[in-house]
Amino acid sequence: MASKLEAGKTREALGRFTRRQLLELDTCAHCALCTEKCPAYAESKVPNYAPGVRSSKTARLVNKQFGLWARLLGPRPVTAEEVSDLAESAFNCTLCGRCMETCPFGLQTHELWTRVRELVYALGGTLPNVRMLDEMLEENQNPYGLDADMRLDWADYTDLEEVPEKDRAEVAYFVGCTTAFKGANHEVAYSIASILNQLGEDWTLLGEDEWCCGSPLLLAGNEEGAREFAEHNVEALEARGVKTVITGCAGCFRVFKWEYPKLLGRSPRFRIIHAVEYLRDKLASGELKPEPFRGKVAYHDPCELSRLGGVIDAPREVLKYLVGDYIELPEHGMDVRCCGGGGLLQAANNDLRLAIVKRRLGQAAALGAEVLTSACPACKLAFVDGVRASESDIEVLDIMELAARQLGLL
Amino acid sequence: MSGLTDILYPFFVEKLPYITIAVFLLGVALRAARWLSAPRDPGKRPVSVFAAVKYVVLDVVLFRKTFKSDKVTWLILFLFHVAAGGILFGHMRGFHLWSAEMFAPLGEWVAEFMVEVLPIYMGWLFIATQVLLLIRRGVLEGRQLLSLPNDYLALVLLLITTILGQGMRIFPPEAIPPETYSVVFIPGLIVLHLEKVPSFHWFFLHVLFTQLFVMYIPFSKLVHIFSGVITSALYGSRRAEYGI
Repeated sequence: MASKLEAGKTREALGRFTRRQLLELDTCAHCALCTEKCPAYAESKVPNYAPGVRSSKTARLVNKQFGLWARLLGPRPVTAEEVSDLAESAFNCTLCGRCMETCPFGLQTHELWTRVRELVYALGGTLPNVRMLDEMLEENQNPYGLDADMRLDWADYTDLEEVPEKDRAEVAYFVGCTTAFKGANHEVAYSIASILNQLGEDWTLLGEDEWCCGSPLLLAGNEEGAREFAEHNVEALEARGVKTVITGCAGCFRVFKWEYPKLLGRSPRFRIIHAVEYLRDKLASGELKPEPFRGKVAYHDPCELSRLGGVIDAPREVLKYLVGDYIELPEHGMDVRCCGGGGLLQAANNDLRLAIVKRRLGQAAALGAEVLTSACPACKLAFVDGVRASESDIEVLDIMELAARQLGLL
Repeated sequence: MSGLTDILYPFFVEKLPYITIAVFLLGVALRAARWLSAPRDPGKRPVSVFAAVKYVVLDVVLFRKTFKSDKVTWLILFLFHVAAGGILFGHMRGFHLWSAEMFAPLGEWVAEFMVEVLPIYMGWLFIATQVLLLIRRGVLEGRQLLSLPNDYLALVLLLITTILGQGMRIFPPEAIPPETYSVVFIPGLIVLHLEKVPSFHWFFLHVLFTQLFVMYIPFSKLVHIFSGVITSALYGSRRAEYGI
């Protein structure tokens, strides 16, 4: 027998859909034009993962409480089974936003699916692994459950001599958890730090004072948690008088730039740029003169940097300075096919993540790419895992690592 | 006419139009109230009029995104909407918004083509594209999409209405009472004038189903006719804000 959820809680959670989101749920014609473009559906063929199916199921729940019949005859209860089913759909999604780019009506699905995750979270339907991640974030302020004093381990491992932690600085490098705690990304942090040192920037790290940007909390559906993290980070950065925050993480960048103003109700008193934008400017001004890399290099747009972040040209402009033989992958830019590394899919369904990344790696391999670059630590991790799983010989490098290498810093 | 139809017919063409307009407006009001009762979106998004118009034209009028992802579906959808627009335009003549005489300077054959030939082809095109869309939905059902009952109801209602309208043109005309040559939706404002006496049974049912369809619009997925323009405009603004 289906177990009904508490009415008041359900109504409150379903009542959090905004005007635009209700309009979007009503507009979705369930045409399925987004389905084949969805990486999660394309690799799994599970109907429940299709964006249109998620939209139908969400609309059904909303209509149970706020639809016309609910207004005339009274709201109908939502069951735990329905929420669990919706959770399966919501978390088997990379939140890459490709369905938004495909939707004939331009439904802003990235925000809609995030709201669905919030609904699931509020009704206690979050998947166990995602719940665990949420708990680790609350306890350790990072999604890996590691102590804060390990945030600077990357500097020890890479023998970086100067790691500034100042009370005041013009520039702050916000490393991000996936770069700081994951060995495969330590050289990304090293590369960015080395470039900042080479250019003599007045820069600092937050060190142990750096908390997760809050992106995984938002992706888990915990908006309140993300707000707390945003407040902490902005306070820490503003207290140091920072004018510019640089990050090499596409997820951190998107959240700082596009979510923090919404979470905080104001814009932070600093600008946020991705490291590739900084690098582009320094290459264009002639302050950095790299030796061009000889070999075929492809670039994968991180969804959170390109489609969801608005940075598409900067990495390509950087690669003009770094690479002699650049290959443009199919399905790039606004239409980029996700690598599978986003949306907490690794926690929800790692097999699906690997299937998605193998497809993307296959596209790079088919074009004869020797090096596959990106500008996101989650993409890099996904590609590294994909290379291992598919025994590919493509070298995976962050664009900042390639730059540091061609500048003789790495 | 005889029996029940003697009573129903005048009702459908004299009374029901008022109910249709009232239900339609009530539905729009209820739908708008539902949207407006929800919380506002956090943060203030600047509205870019240029980007909004650009994406409405590209995505709503030309179906650019559908073209990019699925050429066959684009063709069906595009022809479906061309036929829908054409038929809607044809009906506007009945509301005296245009007349065959306006096309006479281009040649008598053009005027005749506009009022006699084109509507027949548009009708067939409309039916064919609806059937294809219905088949597509059926084929993908349960695999790529999960239709709500109103997804089908809207399509089926439209298909019945169109078939009835087409039947009215094809089957030979019959005499109908002179007072039913006009269907009054709002007196002096929205009045459908019939130039010719159509086939009675087809006209009778077409009038009924058209009004059911119009009443159903605000309660169905067909609301995308209006809301899709808003969502596309908002998407255009978002792209402008993101600089992409």
